[in-house]
Amino acid sequence: MPGALPLTLDQIDLFDPTPFEMGEAHALFTYLRNNKPVFWNEGPENLVGTWNLTKFEDVVFVSRQPETFISSTGITQMKLRMPEPEGLFGDTSGNGKMLITMDPPRHVRLRRLVNKGFTPRAVAAMEAHIREITTEILDGIADRRSCDFVLEVSSQLPLAVICGMMGLEKKDWPLMFELTNKVLGAGDPEYQTDVPEEQRGSREAANMTGAMGFMQMFSFFGQQLQKRRVDPENDLISLLCGSEVDGEALTDEEILWFCFLLILAGNETTRNGISAGLITLCQNPAERERLQKDLSLMPSAVEEILRYTSPVTHMAREATRDVEIRGQLIRAGERVTMWYPSVNRDEDIFPDSQRFDITRTPNDHLAFGIGEHFCLGAGFARLELRVMFEELFRRFPDIDMDGPAERLRSTFIGGIKHLPVRYTPKG
Amino acid sequence: MKVRVNEDMCEGHGKCQAAAPGVFRLRDDDVSEVIVDEVPAADVEKVERAIRLCPRQAIAWVKPA
Repeated sequence: MPGALPLTLDQIDLFDPTPFEMGEAHALFTYLRNNKPVFWNEGPENLVGTWNLTKFEDVVFVSRQPETFISSTGITQMKLRMPEPEGLFGDTSGNGKMLITMDPPRHVRLRRLVNKGFTPRAVAAMEAHIREITTEILDGIADRRSCDFVLEVSSQLPLAVICGMMGLEKKDWPLMFELTNKVLGAGDPEYQTDVPEEQRGSREAANMTGAMGFMQMFSFFGQQLQKRRVDPENDLISLLCGSEVDGEALTDEEILWFCFLLILAGNETTRNGISAGLITLCQNPAERERLQKDLSLMPSAVEEILRYTSPVTHMAREATRDVEIRGQLIRAGERVTMWYPSVNRDEDIFPDSQRFDITRTPNDHLAFGIGEHFCLGAGFARLELRVMFEELFRRFPDIDMDGPAERLRSTFIGGIKHLPVRYTPKG
Repeated sequence: MKVRVNEDMCEGHGKCQAAAPGVFRLRDDDVSEVIVDEVPAADVEKVERAIRLCPRQAIAWVKPA
């Protein structure tokens, strides 16, 4: 592994996206789990510091107490010490405005508007449809022997599914992909296309890119919303238009934030789960062979892919009272950051935790979180991963990496931007 | 001992039914319900497992009044 293992705690900085971009964060997490499982990281520049939780039980402890550890002051480690003056677009943080940044009791009430569409039963009913989309995507690469797996395959399935549920026209799907990259990949120079080349890579370039993505997203969904107010369709946006919480209809702003969350969460994380899953299978040929010989192992293999790759890297919370975690006092107002790739390789929970084992049992990982904010789309993610790998291996059994993957420069999303693959064209 | 499912939180993952089939039943409306009044001693450990595994952490023992 390139890059020396840190020797002392003061060399570890979990605000630095570099180890994540290089795929080397696990070395840091293993060190922290064994030396400082509740680790204080001072915030760089204008950012607030945070306690970093790397053990499974500690993340369950925090997740089970959504009133003690709140989400409404921001769910990433990036919290500003001194709030910047609101720009042209008002408050773009979304804090307190989306399911993911909302606390009880309103969180549950809002979530209940849509959650019947995401239960295991509702998801299972979508399997044939999802297989159809997958087949179409794989048809699109079948006449060649290589492609960028991210751009042409893994991004396309979740994008089609969530855009379909929201009732967006196919011509708008590429825009949704582009804007998702701008918002969630704002810190990555590749997506900073609105900024002059010589300025890319700076904090300002990241802020600018995120703001541009945000503005374009809101203007797009604003138009979609107006259309459905006049002419409701059978889709999620129309459903939200007709919904009430505590007897009050949702406001336009609330619906727009809902759309913003659905499109981001719906297409970014599953894309990365599929891409990272393929990388992991290619890097573990014995497990891959076992799976390809017996595709009935797929559901269990999907769980192991989720545990091993943990596509969402962290979520942060803020303590509302003094609490002790593993003997460490967390004071009211201090922030904690939960690192999912770490807890999913916690040696106390998962024997031989660094090993990729497609029949690992039990495998009760936290890739989707747990409790109040458990991933609403978990069922879709699981189904999309399973169907994609079933169809992929059926049609292109020899598909392999054709060069290194390019990772996203982010501490929040375990993103894979590009993944060159080669395969025998057929199917 | 009595156990309770918070219907507002339950999203029908069915982990509880799998862990303790004699205690929980997933209804057709994708909400889990408790089908016994008192949890039999033999099922207590299974219910503990269901409580731990519930993705929404929607299950809890009812504290005696």
